Amino acid sequence: MRSFHLTIARVDEPLFSGEVASVLLPGKEGVFEVLAGHEAFVSELREGQIRVAAEDGKTYHFDIPDRGIAEVSSNQTTVLL
Amino acid sequence: MALKNIKNKIAATNRMHKVTRAMEAVSAVKMRKTQLAALAGRPYARAALQILTRLSGSSELSKHPLSMEREQVRAVALVVITSDRGLAGALNSGLIKVAVEAVAPYPKEAVAVYAYGKKGQEYFARRGYKIERSYENKADDVDRAAMDELAVSLAEAFIAGRYDAVMVAYNNFRSTFEHVPTARRMLPFSLPALRQLVEDIAPEHGKYSDLHALDSVPAYTVEPAGEEVLGILAPRLAAVALYHMLLESKAAEHSARMVAMKNASDKSKEVAADLTHEYNKIRQAAITREVSEIVGGREALAA
Repeated sequence: MRSFHLTIARVDEPLFSGEVASVLLPGKEGVFEVLAGHEAFVSELREGQIRVAAEDGKTYHFDIPDRGIAEVSSNQTTVLL
Repeated sequence: MALKNIKNKIAATNRMHKVTRAMEAVSAVKMRKTQLAALAGRPYARAALQILTRLSGSSELSKHPLSMEREQVRAVALVVITSDRGLAGALNSGLIKVAVEAVAPYPKEAVAVYAYGKKGQEYFARRGYKIERSYENKADDVDRAAMDELAVSLAEAFIAGRYDAVMVAYNNFRSTFEHVPTARRMLPFSLPALRQLVEDIAPEHGKYSDLHALDSVPAYTVEPAGEEVLGILAPRLAAVALYHMLLESKAAEHSARMVAMKNASDKSKEVAADLTHEYNKIRQAAITREVSEIVGGREALAA
């Protein structure tokens, strides 16, 4: 399975950084899933939960308390809370 | 009598040494904490700036009200981030010099000072600048709420046209022994200024230095719309930038104080050693004199 690099950061601390297989994000216009090789785009996130499926098979969950922004490019995804 | 004086001086110097050494230790602990916080905040600031710089290629940034260049700059807001307390070497004086240079092209009446930290507030108040707001900079942890609020009020005042530019003067933390007093224009946002900020944020070496390369992606799909994403990102970015500058300043302050206290401790040790040397010399001279007096007295009696 192809993987890509995911960074989830809050202003005062980075929450997650590593290789993942997929990530599920609550976009403003609906929940969407990012896989490796996704088209480059930027989206606003609403409050909800992020589900990360890491490369090693583990799953992580993060809460978005307020709003956030996700940026997806070819092999790198950044989520700012 | 001189002997007693020197003895007192030695005791006083030793007491001073104890104090400065304790302050050095305290600063070292605080420095480590703030350095960690400053480093931990870097990935976020970097990522946020990176998104913004990439978006700016799509020309929406130049249309955002926070990035509108004003033709004539009539009123300027200056945010000065200093420490509340001294004993930190040339930290504040260097910063204030840079801050004054930054607003030198504008008349005093056109400058509104937002002083974060007492040293800056005292300096600018004494020289007749208008202090718009002043904050205490006593706490060791960085107050995010205050920074958010400051950023929001600055952005609002900028959009309302009360200021045509917002400058920030802060100490850029590079390493324990090096901090660079820096003045930066925060508003209006501009691409080169943002780039500079991103580049400064990545440390030269260490844990986060691998984040260096700023790659650019040509095309983006922006959802829901470019303006909306920018609308959230731009004011946030102002807050993040401010928060970051404050973190850097804190780290610089504690490092500077630690270094200053280390120098003071070293110096007091040196002074104590010199004084002890002096003391021994005088004591020996007195003993020699007494011995020769006794010998001289005996010889006079025997004669």
